[in-house]
Amino acid sequence: MIYSPGRIVDYTQPPPLVEGKSIATLIDESIAVQIDRRPSKKYLAALLVTLTMVLIGSIAVGYTFVYGIGMWGNNVPVGWAFDITNFVFWIGIGHAGTLISAILFLFRQQWRTGIARFAEAMTIFAVICAGLFPIIHLGRPWFAAYIFPYPNQHGIWVNFNSPLIWDVFAVSTYFTVSLIFWYIGLMPDFGTLRERTTNAVKKVVYSILSLGWRFSTRHWQHYEKTYVILAGLATPLVLSVHSVVSFDFAVSVIPGWHTTIFPPYFVAGAIFSGMAMVLAVLIIVRKVFDLEYLITMDHMDKMAKVILATSMMVTYAYLMEPFMAWYSGKSTEWYVVMNRAFGYYAIAFWVMIVCNVFLPQLFWFRKIRRSIPALFIISVLVNVGMWLERYVIIVTSLSRDYLPSSWGVYSPTIFDVGILIGSFGLFFTLILLFSKSLPVISISEIKSIVKGAQPSYRMGEDHE
Amino acid sequence: MIAGRHPWGSNQGAVAFRKMSYTVLMIGVLINFFSYAIEPEHGLFSLVMSFAFVASVGLGALFWVAIEYLTSAVWSVAMRRVFEFLAGVIPFLIILALPLLFNLHEIFIWTHKSYIKHNSGMLIKLPYLNAISFTIRTIVILAVWVLFYELMTRNSLLQDTTHEEDLTKRNIKLSAAFMPIFGVTLTLFAIDWLMSLSPSWYSTIFGVYYFAGASLAAMAMGTLMVVTLNENGLFPVKLSRDHYYNLGGLIFAFSNFWAYIAFSQFMLIWYGNLPEETAWIIPRMNGSWAAISVILVFFHFLVPFVGLITRSAKMKPRRLISISICILLAHALDIYWLVMPAYSEKRAPFSLAELSFLLISFGFVFAVFAQKSKRNSLIPVGDPKLKKSLEFQI
Amino acid sequence: MNDEKLYGLTALFDSPDKIVLATRAVVKEGYKAFDIYSPYPVHGVDRGMRLKQSRIGLVTLIFGLMGVALALLLTWWTNSVNYPLIIGGKPFWALPAYIPVTFELSVLFGAVFTILGLLVIFFGFPQNVHPLHGTDFMKRVSSDRFGICIEAVDPKFDSKRTADFLQTLGSEKIEPIYYSLLESPGVGTILNRKFLLSLLFVAAVSSGLTYLTLNKLLFLHPWISLAEQIKVLPESRSTFYVDGFAMRQPVQGTVARGHMPYAFVGNMKGAEKFMINPLTPTKQVMELGRRDFNAYCSPCHGYFGDGDSRLQGQFPNPPSLHSDALRQASDGHFFHVITEGFRNVMPSYDQQIPEEERWAIIWYIRALQRAKHAKETDVP
Repeated sequence: MIYSPGRIVDYTQPPPLVEGKSIATLIDESIAVQIDRRPSKKYLAALLVTLTMVLIGSIAVGYTFVYGIGMWGNNVPVGWAFDITNFVFWIGIGHAGTLISAILFLFRQQWRTGIARFAEAMTIFAVICAGLFPIIHLGRPWFAAYIFPYPNQHGIWVNFNSPLIWDVFAVSTYFTVSLIFWYIGLMPDFGTLRERTTNAVKKVVYSILSLGWRFSTRHWQHYEKTYVILAGLATPLVLSVHSVVSFDFAVSVIPGWHTTIFPPYFVAGAIFSGMAMVLAVLIIVRKVFDLEYLITMDHMDKMAKVILATSMMVTYAYLMEPFMAWYSGKSTEWYVVMNRAFGYYAIAFWVMIVCNVFLPQLFWFRKIRRSIPALFIISVLVNVGMWLERYVIIVTSLSRDYLPSSWGVYSPTIFDVGILIGSFGLFFTLILLFSKSLPVISISEIKSIVKGAQPSYRMGEDHE
Repeated sequence: MIAGRHPWGSNQGAVAFRKMSYTVLMIGVLINFFSYAIEPEHGLFSLVMSFAFVASVGLGALFWVAIEYLTSAVWSVAMRRVFEFLAGVIPFLIILALPLLFNLHEIFIWTHKSYIKHNSGMLIKLPYLNAISFTIRTIVILAVWVLFYELMTRNSLLQDTTHEEDLTKRNIKLSAAFMPIFGVTLTLFAIDWLMSLSPSWYSTIFGVYYFAGASLAAMAMGTLMVVTLNENGLFPVKLSRDHYYNLGGLIFAFSNFWAYIAFSQFMLIWYGNLPEETAWIIPRMNGSWAAISVILVFFHFLVPFVGLITRSAKMKPRRLISISICILLAHALDIYWLVMPAYSEKRAPFSLAELSFLLISFGFVFAVFAQKSKRNSLIPVGDPKLKKSLEFQI
Repeated sequence: MNDEKLYGLTALFDSPDKIVLATRAVVKEGYKAFDIYSPYPVHGVDRGMRLKQSRIGLVTLIFGLMGVALALLLTWWTNSVNYPLIIGGKPFWALPAYIPVTFELSVLFGAVFTILGLLVIFFGFPQNVHPLHGTDFMKRVSSDRFGICIEAVDPKFDSKRTADFLQTLGSEKIEPIYYSLLESPGVGTILNRKFLLSLLFVAAVSSGLTYLTLNKLLFLHPWISLAEQIKVLPESRSTFYVDGFAMRQPVQGTVARGHMPYAFVGNMKGAEKFMINPLTPTKQVMELGRRDFNAYCSPCHGYFGDGDSRLQGQFPNPPSLHSDALRQASDGHFFHVITEGFRNVMPSYDQQIPEEERWAIIWYIRALQRAKHAKETDVP
């Protein structure tokens, strides 16, 4: 079976889980070929663009480190702005990856297999981008280690009552668990690559990374159980991490922040924005790497439905907050609603509403769910809307809280914007590097779900 | 070929079950009258609890039916009819609602002009919390629920005889429309009947909290029915341990979800320590209510967590039945914990009224189930995915 | 080839149905030391091999619970025992606030130790020197074929009979696998020289880096930025002032806080003339005066002002306070003497005795003077 890149796939056929007549070697070749091929000119051009963005970000961060947070637009009362918006945004992006790889795995949604590896990688890169922000927004980032409760001579411990410390634990745990979950998935693929490769250096590298994996069923049995356990651990972890992030705001008492719906609202919003980012990136990746037959229109359709569902959950929260603000009878709460809609940041608010509430409603229509340009544009705008949502929540509530004499507005400086650009640059750089060096689709998993991969009948045996 | 008419309807066990549920219901109603006679407010509060419990099971069941259609799930098709029967309580909710709607003055303090006069914060809520708009809202919400219930189950029952695939497609569309409407109406229902018992208190997560309890209770009730029937050979088809595993998995997941929502609400109110919010939590943290809170966490979260965490546990029928019963009783305790502190802040009352709550709630659900299953098949015979559903393996 | 040790016989199959049937046949035949290889887990093979359920979940449970215990211990000890602080009005043991940390640590411990347990204990990884690595069998089995390997250590193993048996299963290729010198059992033990040397190397590098970080790096900027401040330290040299002193005298006219400058510096006549005792001779004032006189003045002047102190006439023994001159001297004279000292024989006491107390002492001296020249009418 010779695989020819750029082959047109017939989308009118009822979608099986993996289209086309892919067999195991076909899969090996088409996925591994991305790693073996020399980087194309387009790839290098893309890498150049993203590295430039990283450079911009590095310069902005450098200025911040040397001259202090005063280079940003943060002031009193708006002590948090772009920094925490970006932090929450990137953590949110990471959640879709874990949703796809862990939660959909537990629900036995086999359509996840083609996109799980990529989504997990995106999670790890998003968490890396997110984790930078708590460090760079410190006044003295060289003392960042102080946030960990190690035995020390400071004469004081970290404040376990503070959600900022809960964040430290949550994000560290999330990063570690995502990383090992990803690595465990990669181990068999490293074994495959180790056996395939003829390059001596690569063979050593893959041998080390595969730890000697030899595809034995005795190992597969433990492996599968471990995978289920890790997926089962990662699922509540996803819920808890973004809930802990939401606690950063909800445990305070300022109007607009202190509201009990924040934890599930933030989790739904995270999945919403993350899924949109995954969709946007995958649309590009499948085209560039000729993986349309493994990441099909059906996958896009299902991801669009998830985006629609989570958009409605976010809309529910958008309805609950003003309702309760009115119902509570507290003038401060109602003012928050009015201020968000008609105050200084009204434009940001209304763009957010259009992008998060109205645009995803287009996904009710099958034609739009199956149109690549529409999917891409709506996904990008959803990301814009979700970034603005975090910005609106943080900045409007800080700029107008209980004491009118303390009110003040925030405007971003060029360093704020530079760091945001840098974080996107870092994210896309890591994705580009990943797609050229590691298998973007889980080779062993995808082989296990193609037609004819499993025994054709239960052979008269019953479950214990 | 799967049998259309099945042994359940005329089975001796079925008849006994039907008789038993009506008896329980009647006894519950009698005890409720009796407790109403002794102390009208207490009797009415107990009826509020029954209303909230039965509505949660019915709406939760309809939610699961809708989810199955929306996700095009195959494994649960054989069990869908059981959930449709449970949702059958929805048209009868008006029976529970009417006595309450005529006695709002005894139940809700915001109907008292003196309370409104002494609490200026109530004035802003007046357009929302007054007897007329409250009644209209309840009637409209119940009507919307009945509408969706009737449309969806009618299609499903029709499919038994016609085997039309188109009916499935129609139900998928109805489910998609139902979901957002369900979210909003269930939230308003919970706010109206449960949250407004303490009218100065508010919590944006309250609707989600009620939803978590409702979906879990419905799944537990459905699991209880399915597993009991299947184990006794009364289910028309043989469901396997793999089906049980999925049911157990969903109970496990939603029990954890409830705990997460409950903890979020509690911790945020505790941490912010604002008097207008803690006023609701404090009575539930003192006196006999504190013990009830601890018992609630234990039986609603810890016991199902430990009891269903292993893979093999989720497949054991006896385990599923006992955990389902535990969750249903814990859900009743949850409703009790939500409602009764508004009636008796210092002491957790346990009297005839509470007994009538339990009897009416369970009797109502069982009676409706028994009645519906008398005439209709326990499985959606005409569903095109039924055969594949039975072949399901994990 | 003949003196190389045989590891086992391998057979390749091309469909999952065949491998499941083959598995059952191998088990039925009575082989125990064998394994099935596949590029992905094939349903039914593990059951066919009669493998017991994996117990890795137990590891997760144990370490997850350990994580819970550790988190509760950590939060309790740091925030309730070792350095309790009242934060937000919450109690010292604020359990609701510690739940998120507890949950996260339990998940972290559960996940990390599950993986470590899986890799190190269950698999024995890393293990890159296995006879099957690098063989054509492994190449196929990692790609698109399914394989059996029956090991030579199995009691039922026999080169000829096992090979024939595998033939009957319908495999497409049967191949014997031999140990290479490197892979012989016992070679890859922990006492391997290369391994120990690399372990030593890693230990040396990591301890060196730790030492350098903690003792050298952390003493550079920016970590010491706050320790090196642009401020003047006492006793240091100044390049700014001509005289080289960084410590300077206070500016002319500087007064200590709460202190009024003495108006009659070097001016005894003015003090005698203009200073008036602001205190009235109440009992407290007299007691205070007596206390202070006994403390500050009696070592030289004696307890009754006679000058018969422990100085015993030696320098600078003062004269009696009861002379006519001193009995007639004004209160201001005494105040000036206490404040400035007297002709280099009595030191100034303005640093030790606050102003108010000096006036109290003066009242006491007056009392002593009157006592020494008492009249009959003074006695009650």
